[in-house]
Amino acid sequence: MKKLLIFPALLLFCSCEDVISIEVKEEKQQLVVDAWLTDEAQEQQVKLTLSQAYFDQEKPLPALGAEVYVVRQDSTGFRFNDNDNDGVYTYTPRNRNYLRMNERISLYIKYKEEEYYAISELKRVPAIDSLKYQSVTLPIKPEDGPKSGFRAQFYANDFAGEGDTYLVRWYKNDVLQARSSEYTLSYDGGLSPGNKIDGMLFFQPIRMAINSDSRLFVDRDKVTVELHSLPLDAYYFLYQVQAETNNGGIFATPPANIPSNIFNLNPESAEKAVGLFLVSKVSRYTAVIDKNNARPAD
Amino acid sequence: MKKDQSSRGFIRCITAFLFCLLLNPSFAQDTFTLSGTVKDASDGEALIGVNVYARDQQVGISTNVYGFYSITLPKGSHRLVVSYVGYHKVEREINLNANITLNLELKAEGNVLEEVIVKAEREDHNVKSMEMSVNKMEMRTIKKMPALLGEVDVIRSIQFLPGVSSVGEGSSGFNVRGGAIDQNLVLLDEAPVYNSSHLMGFFSIFNPDVVKDVKLIKGSIPSVYGGRVSSILDVRMKEGNSKRTEFSGGIGTIFSRFTLEGPLVKEKGSFVVALRRSYIDLLARPFLKDDLKGVKFYFYDFTAKGNYRINDKNTVYLSGYLGRDLFGADFGFDWGNATTTFRWNHVFNNKLFLNTTLFYSNYNYSLDSDLKNKNKEDVFRWNSNILNYSIKPDFTWYLNTRNTITFGGQSILYNFNPGSARVVSGGEGQDIGLNSKKALESAVYIGNEHKITGRLTLNYGLRYSFYDYFGTPLAYIFDESAPAGERKPLRDTLAFSGNESIRKYGYFEPRLAVNISLNRSTSLKIGYNRLAQYIHLLSNTTASSPLDVWTPSTNNIKPQLSDQVALGIFKNFRDNMYETSVEVYYKTLQNQIDYIRNADLLLNPYVEGDLMYGKGRAYGAEFFVKKNKGNLNGWISYTLSRTERKVNGLNNNEWFLSRIDKLHNLSVVSIYDISKKWNIGATFSFMTGTPASFPTTRYIWQGIAIPHNYSDERNTYRIPASHRLDLSATKRNKHALFGRGESEWVFSVYNVYNRRNPFSVYVRQNPDDPSRTEAVRYSVFASVLPSVTYNFKF
Repeated sequence: MKKLLIFPALLLFCSCEDVISIEVKEEKQQLVVDAWLTDEAQEQQVKLTLSQAYFDQEKPLPALGAEVYVVRQDSTGFRFNDNDNDGVYTYTPRNRNYLRMNERISLYIKYKEEEYYAISELKRVPAIDSLKYQSVTLPIKPEDGPKSGFRAQFYANDFAGEGDTYLVRWYKNDVLQARSSEYTLSYDGGLSPGNKIDGMLFFQPIRMAINSDSRLFVDRDKVTVELHSLPLDAYYFLYQVQAETNNGGIFATPPANIPSNIFNLNPESAEKAVGLFLVSKVSRYTAVIDKNNARPAD
Repeated sequence: MKKDQSSRGFIRCITAFLFCLLLNPSFAQDTFTLSGTVKDASDGEALIGVNVYARDQQVGISTNVYGFYSITLPKGSHRLVVSYVGYHKVEREINLNANITLNLELKAEGNVLEEVIVKAEREDHNVKSMEMSVNKMEMRTIKKMPALLGEVDVIRSIQFLPGVSSVGEGSSGFNVRGGAIDQNLVLLDEAPVYNSSHLMGFFSIFNPDVVKDVKLIKGSIPSVYGGRVSSILDVRMKEGNSKRTEFSGGIGTIFSRFTLEGPLVKEKGSFVVALRRSYIDLLARPFLKDDLKGVKFYFYDFTAKGNYRINDKNTVYLSGYLGRDLFGADFGFDWGNATTTFRWNHVFNNKLFLNTTLFYSNYNYSLDSDLKNKNKEDVFRWNSNILNYSIKPDFTWYLNTRNTITFGGQSILYNFNPGSARVVSGGEGQDIGLNSKKALESAVYIGNEHKITGRLTLNYGLRYSFYDYFGTPLAYIFDESAPAGERKPLRDTLAFSGNESIRKYGYFEPRLAVNISLNRSTSLKIGYNRLAQYIHLLSNTTASSPLDVWTPSTNNIKPQLSDQVALGIFKNFRDNMYETSVEVYYKTLQNQIDYIRNADLLLNPYVEGDLMYGKGRAYGAEFFVKKNKGNLNGWISYTLSRTERKVNGLNNNEWFLSRIDKLHNLSVVSIYDISKKWNIGATFSFMTGTPASFPTTRYIWQGIAIPHNYSDERNTYRIPASHRLDLSATKRNKHALFGRGESEWVFSVYNVYNRRNPFSVYVRQNPDDPSRTEAVRYSVFASVLPSVTYNFKF
């Protein structure tokens, strides 16, 4: 919506952006938990690092020597180990069922003298039925992409019943489009919790959220779509990540810290962690663009 | 208990009021009343604020917004002086032995140079009148100030006045003494305007060719006004030339304007119709290819007015305004205001004047994903509007030379439709949206301008406003025990039928102004006002967008209240050539709306759970020097101010600077008449940068650098200051087209020394190298913007 509003402003005026330097206060380091687990039988990671000054351009320091466990509702625990001593704690499950649907999963971390925990829940996700693409010619050739190419959309149906939250992300030729502006969130197949639509085919802007505005797909490009189920706290976390990291222009909102679901077991402790622990169920669909199968342009 | 106290207060006020009236000695005398209207002799426009003065008695009165005056004098002969700056003074010998109606016409002073006068009031009006914290601007001044892209703009011009600011170039609306943009009551011929700008805030919706009078009231607000807590911007449109038909217009960079005005039924009335339309889309069309050919992008406004004088006692006015912004190609988005106002002036007798206003207004906006209906499988259509119906009788009772009493009331019925939408996905459709809501806001008021002695004048009044929220089927109860700053979970839903009342509110709003005349050219003024506001604009962005939703007070959202005291000293020098004032103010605000992080304001039925309520305070000093006479005139205004907020759940529950805080705000406006042919204008402004929050730290989560403020503080930094110089030059031609009429060329340059004033500073990951984080200065008008406008009249 924000982009939409800026459009006429850009058309008329030369608004501009310059990189400037500002000084900000330096503050204490905090433990950063980056733990996004899926229900897939492949290596699962919990990355622990330390926060740094905002304009510090170095790689973040790893948080080493932590104990990391993921514990199921039936008290079965999985130990994550930092085998390479780089702050990436891993575990490789033998099958998809190491996490169970609609069950709460907890994360336990002991780092230095502090103990932290977080809770997430594995929610349902619908299958992706198909992926289609259409020929498109842009009016002006973009700097970083072709003038003619294809736009793709995936087809999936939201479950009936309120409160299903999802994330859509995509890979182009096996490269994850990893910027915060490149994933899309959906609430019951629509754009936001306020839009009370439910149980329909995903709303068109979400189905088409797997395209770059300027870099159209070309023949033989490989497109992979991932649809993740999200617990509600992760939905809001990811929603705010997009807001806080793309917050320029005249319709910016006041910057705010993103609440974390990582808590210190001792609520009195001054040491607070940041980041998010989430578990998601994934549907995936891959297609290779074939110009002969594309729908013609409108 | 509380109610008891306030009603006791009310009774006490009324008693005091009656007592004041009884004290008045002039009741017993043998007096008669002289009344009538004062108009411009050239075009028949009613003149507002003309001074009608009985020299021997040393009493005077100003004409009201309809040009009406009434003055009560002892029997006998009087020397009457009728004066208005920029017009020839009229002196009349009147023999008063009965009540007399005297309608007058004043001739504008022929000399072009003399006409260029910044204010059209009695020369020492600022010292003598009750008004404080009031700024008036004459259209002819506004027209000579340099304008952005040559488009004369009322809202931009008032930002040069003391106590007025904006969050940045290109934002819509204006902030008065620390008030939010929705706390200004913008009235267009007595009807409120909800969105006062075109194109996201770049241009105001008022067509400068038909604006007659602009008055901004920042404090000491009289009891006749209410409904917003910070200021009143009272804009009056021209009634139209009642002497001859006139066609005028202008061709500018953004708009073209055309106005037709003329008499209606020979001297009985007049009309004016005015149209403005932007034409960037028409100019751009030949250059657009393929897909862009269908791009629509324009805005227009249309004003039509007529008035008819039925007889000496009755005049009716009908006016309509329609403004729209539209853009889109396949995707469409449009919004606008439509208002219709009917007014009836009735003179009961020489002493009692009534204006009754009826208005209907509709502010709506809509979004459409597919204007051409190409794809029936996937559609998103959204409509939202606010309907208002209102009646407002306002009486003025010219009781005697010492007391002028105003009383009346207002009722506004609001019908909010916050959004209904049609979503079609894959051929399957659903209607989503929010229930409409209704509210009735009413008020009764009384006020008296009371000249106690030659030195002391009081204006005291009381307004009682009451409000009823009803007509929506569901009211929500939220869990108030949720941690401050977090989304409040829904605890209960209450069902209501039909027009059952859900929540009522009522407030007494006392008003007081005191003018103590220290000597002929100096006065001290003190003012106090309390104001209540029942409708609110939900907006969490730096600049407000047209999608922001107005919402009524509900069982959860309480009315906003403000209390303000102001103290000012007013002094004129050199026979009123210079007027100066210093005012200080202190304002407190209650029930100020703020937003949780992640607040979802669009189409969210539980939006009240995403709101927080806090308090605000604003204080400052305003310094103002204005030169009224001579070839060089203009003003310098400087405001030193502070605006703060305290909201549980933000900034560790401590006071923090509001995002509209501006410590220093300096404006210089100067207009110089070189000759009959040429005049030049220059404006300069300097403003402290707005407060900002920056992160102290960053952390990497899934490769994204997330900004984080360790102490969770808000607005502890400031963006760099803004300053800017604008220039304009106007050349008058003898004739317009075909050797007739008159015309002028207006050349203007905005941002003369090409400064990139920051609108905001924000942080981001470098788009090409996401591992790098950087701060970015965002500027809206980042270059010199020259323009040329041609105006004509014949």
